[in-house]
Amino acid sequence: MSTFSYNQEALKNLNIEDIALLDRLVDFESARESHLNKVKSKVDKRISLKEAVAEYVSDGDVLCDTGFSYVRTCHQAFFEMMRQGKKDLQMIGAPNTNQSYMINCGLVTLSHNSYVGAEMRGTDRNYSRQLKNGKVKILSEWSHGGIAQGLKAAQLGAPGLFSKQMLGSDIMKYNPYIKTMQNPMRDDSDPVAFIPALYPDVAFIHVQVADKYGNACIYGPVVNDIALAAATRKVIITAEEIVPEINLRYVKDGAMIPFIYSDAVVELPFGAVPGNMPGYYYWSRQWWEKLMRYAAPDEEKFKGFLDEWVMGTKDQFEFVEKLGGAKWVAEARRQTKAAESNNEDIDFRYQEYTKDNKADVYY
Amino acid sequence: MKNDTPANFLEMLAYFISLQIEDHKVVYVGTGLPMVAAILAHKTHAPNITMVYESGGQDPIEGDMPWSVGDPFTWRKAAVIQEMAYSFGQAANGYVDIAFLGFAQIDMYGNVNTHQIGKDLTNPKIRLTGSGGNNDLSSLTENMVLVGLQTPERFPERVDFITSVGHLEGGKSRTEAGLIGRGPIAVISQWGIYDFEPETKRMRIKSLTPGISFEIAQQSTGFELLKPDGDIPETSMIPPDVLDVLRTNVDPNGVFTTMPS
Repeated sequence: MSTFSYNQEALKNLNIEDIALLDRLVDFESARESHLNKVKSKVDKRISLKEAVAEYVSDGDVLCDTGFSYVRTCHQAFFEMMRQGKKDLQMIGAPNTNQSYMINCGLVTLSHNSYVGAEMRGTDRNYSRQLKNGKVKILSEWSHGGIAQGLKAAQLGAPGLFSKQMLGSDIMKYNPYIKTMQNPMRDDSDPVAFIPALYPDVAFIHVQVADKYGNACIYGPVVNDIALAAATRKVIITAEEIVPEINLRYVKDGAMIPFIYSDAVVELPFGAVPGNMPGYYYWSRQWWEKLMRYAAPDEEKFKGFLDEWVMGTKDQFEFVEKLGGAKWVAEARRQTKAAESNNEDIDFRYQEYTKDNKADVYY
Repeated sequence: MKNDTPANFLEMLAYFISLQIEDHKVVYVGTGLPMVAAILAHKTHAPNITMVYESGGQDPIEGDMPWSVGDPFTWRKAAVIQEMAYSFGQAANGYVDIAFLGFAQIDMYGNVNTHQIGKDLTNPKIRLTGSGGNNDLSSLTENMVLVGLQTPERFPERVDFITSVGHLEGGKSRTEAGLIGRGPIAVISQWGIYDFEPETKRMRIKSLTPGISFEIAQQSTGFELLKPDGDIPETSMIPPDVLDVLRTNVDPNGVFTTMPS
């Protein structure tokens, strides 16, 4: 018997029978217990990505996405979870951009959605197909802002917060966690949405620089990641570079995650590939086009694509080689710096990926 | 690169959208045409607007067209890049004057569906993106403008899923549901510009694209469109100098303003 009081209409609409599946995400006591039990002294927490995934990702965990859309997302950590055959994770797909590739191999079987797709690259036809085939089941439906508020409440140490978002929409009918209530401060009718504090089990947060203790610095959009680091039970920092602690003691160009949140640190250059890493590399537009337009619409093609790019590579370096190696790196670095106005503007025109694309580099 | 060909639908749409933007306002923009329109407004009649993006970027230095709302072009040398919860909080707190959103479906009360085609969330005909920030902005922003192509399927009597509440069931129902702001003030399609009748909050023609009759607009709509009093005005067309700015300074590569072949 659950100790939580869920929105019954949503449980019914979503056909959720095993309601215990919902508990971890809002279980404050166990999250606090996890935080109390973390190693709080400054010890060298560096391990490899393979070790981090093996040790910190358990089957059935609630995993939260990080970064934003193509930007600073920990794709290489997701790929390693697929290679290790982890199973049955709940995925908080906010602010997701087509991470549905994790469903096909059984890594993700349950989802909390706020966005499914790839913006200008189109809707995610793989997710649509997996949903219809019963390979993934929706546990809750959100807006981006709703998830952000749930994580922010957790960071603030609050049991939840009252929101003006999602009211009156059908999202409320498909989210067991959210309830419409009367604002207790007002006498006149003032509906508010109560959003509980959210505590995911595990998050991989990819950053530009971190020290070996897990102090981590994010340059560019932070999105939810500071709040997420504070809320999540197991936090793994993956970083483009490991720098001395003294370099992070006064940082004016970025936001910090303090070391006490971090369970492990992975030095992981190209950890956001094939996405964009601010200051380091632009995203591979052609790779995403190949995925979304040629692979995603068809089950077999999609499997072939994942076999080639994920199962067929052992780490991010092999992945980068497939994208075009040093040529890709040089151009991606040039592009992201130009996009950020850190070198001369360049021409961003390029050839969209087509079936006949014979180029040796995925720009 | 002078180009004298007449404006295509997408260029016209970008212009129509840009006209909704007043100078000295804070504008919340998504990718695609709204961004083209906001930059066009900035380079023509509204040089003092401030742009805000969902991933947190605020007031970036203009560059190329961003492909994503998290793209570096949305926070290029920005003085502030906010966390996502705070950027929506600005809309709630009255710091965002106008926002632009797209839709897969819209009904006569400006309710928007970006979730799915089909009624059952657990087994839709086609799953679409879901909310992203669409619901947040619709719930919070003072003035919403909704932008998209108009067909009977996209303008149904009832949307398959209410992702974002516009005027809900009309009248005062939006406010009674607890939402903030005036809700949708305009819908812009290739056929026309629509507003909402003040009492019923039903979609009403404000002006139609030159050459488009009421019958054509109505045939592209799954519900009864209201007419304004008197003759239906024609939407003013994009002036040549503005079209030139659009083609040379705003979207020179035609990323968002080239008609699909």
